[in-house]
Amino acid sequence: MSSDLEGVREVLRVAELTKNYGGLKAMDSISFAVNRGEVMALVGDNGAGKSTLVKALSGAQPPDSGQILINGQPIELRSPRDADDAGIGCIHQSLGLVDALNVPENVFLGRELQRKRFGFLPELDHASMRAKTVELLERFGVNVSSLNKPVVKLSGGQRQSIAISRLLLQDVSLVIMDEPMAALGVDEGQRVMDLVSTMRDEGISIFIISHNLEHVFQIADRIAVLKNGRLVDVVETATTSRDAVIKMITFGSAN
Amino acid sequence: MATNVKSSTPANNVGHADRHWLLQSVGLTAVVIVLAVIFTIINPRFATLANLANVMTQASHYIIIAVAMTFVITSAGIDLSVGSVLALVTVIGFAFIKSGMNPALAVAIMFALGAVIGAFTGTLIALVKIPPFIATLGMMVSLRGLALLHSAGTMHFGLPETLTWLGQGKVFGVPVPVIIAMTVAVVGAWLFNHTKFGLYVRAIGGNREAARLAGVPVNLIEILVYSLMGLVTAIGGLVMIARIDSTQATIGTSIEIHIIAAVIIGGTSLFGGRGTIYGTVLGAVLLSMMTNALVIAGVDNFWQLVIMGIVVLLAVAINNLRENRIPVFSSLMRRSR
Repeated sequence: MSSDLEGVREVLRVAELTKNYGGLKAMDSISFAVNRGEVMALVGDNGAGKSTLVKALSGAQPPDSGQILINGQPIELRSPRDADDAGIGCIHQSLGLVDALNVPENVFLGRELQRKRFGFLPELDHASMRAKTVELLERFGVNVSSLNKPVVKLSGGQRQSIAISRLLLQDVSLVIMDEPMAALGVDEGQRVMDLVSTMRDEGISIFIISHNLEHVFQIADRIAVLKNGRLVDVVETATTSRDAVIKMITFGSAN
Repeated sequence: MATNVKSSTPANNVGHADRHWLLQSVGLTAVVIVLAVIFTIINPRFATLANLANVMTQASHYIIIAVAMTFVITSAGIDLSVGSVLALVTVIGFAFIKSGMNPALAVAIMFALGAVIGAFTGTLIALVKIPPFIATLGMMVSLRGLALLHSAGTMHFGLPETLTWLGQGKVFGVPVPVIIAMTVAVVGAWLFNHTKFGLYVRAIGGNREAARLAGVPVNLIEILVYSLMGLVTAIGGLVMIARIDSTQATIGTSIEIHIIAAVIIGGTSLFGGRGTIYGTVLGAVLLSMMTNALVIAGVDNFWQLVIMGIVVLLAVAINNLRENRIPVFSSLMRRSR
């Protein structure tokens, strides 16, 4: 395994991941690696095994066999908590936000900052959480119309950004995004892609599942193509055409 | 990309609240004042200091219990058993006191009993997964039965003065029950807006699954919410029996409709996630004003029940309208645009 100044170059490596549902091989010996500060896209038709792979990486559903290495260390992901502790953040399509809560409350939910009222009564430190939220949003160039509004009143792109900010509050080395642009308009989708580039610039690796090849070619450094539970190939975006990727998705080969 | 987060948001620190909810509170305050003026025009006796103090005193146990009910409803729950809890706790406490037990100890037992009953109800809901409506309906019937088993046909009266002071005393002219109610409201508002517990209650009511994934101990919080409900119901019950210096097994019958009405009129969402303690206090005061005005106007007791039911239904309907939850109405609004 190669290494550079930052230590291990590979943030994530999966080796021969396999998962069977009855007679169906949802993942058939999948192996690849995601490098530090890289955006890798995962594409494939329905039933290609994308969800199964994401579930394995987010700890939601462990594989039958195979190995997952984070920063070169083998690790077992048995629950979302394990993935969390390993520095893998996952954003599902449902986003996991509480609509009725405002932006800082959502960002800090489960990791609240507290202070002591009258020197002994623990209470929420709204001011600090708010300031840290502003700091975080500014660092990643996220623009939110109001921090005090319940997030249900914000746009889809803003909600997506807040869900991402929730992850960035911790030290994450890999962010998995499941169809982040699916429900967004053009402008909003562009904003989320800008956020993805900013995260990459900060050295965070992104593993992005998407149906939209236009987005994929715009944002990803490399593309992993799945078909029928098998990895067809991992290709560089710069040296591949969209047609070639479509052929791989459909026929399982570029030729 | 523009990063004007700071400039685009007002530099206030209102916790969960936003402008919409502030406006709503201001609106409700205005309604209370306008109603008070109308009642006074109809009958000048309404505005006498004695009567206003009377209204607030009568509202006090409703305010106390409704503050806890705000937590329950915000957590996307409901508690129909508060009247029965109040009855069981007060008849048992009263009997202990009359049997010569130290009043402070008896009161402590009342509070503990309320909290334990609430924790039991919360366990049925959080762990046994019985829907709140059914769980508390069952508790409502069973606890009323227990209260009747304990004290059927008995009217308890004659509390020591130390306790009746809680319901009838005054400090600098302010009735003690009103002081207790305001204290409960202030502590309740702090808990609701400024503590982890309050945040978790709002999170559970808003999106239980998201809260769980974020690491919120959802079952524990739910049990605590109902336990708080039971404890605070006991406090409200104590204030109530201290004021009327009596209790019986049928006390607090159908009080739940009054309490739930106060919370909903106050603007707390029946669908969970959003609530306001200030609104709840106003809602309770509004209802007491209404009842008082109806009494002064000589409206029949049974008609008061009819009106109370209608007010509750209206409050829910208005809430649904405000939250755009009436499909027929929403589509009509869209078409007319």
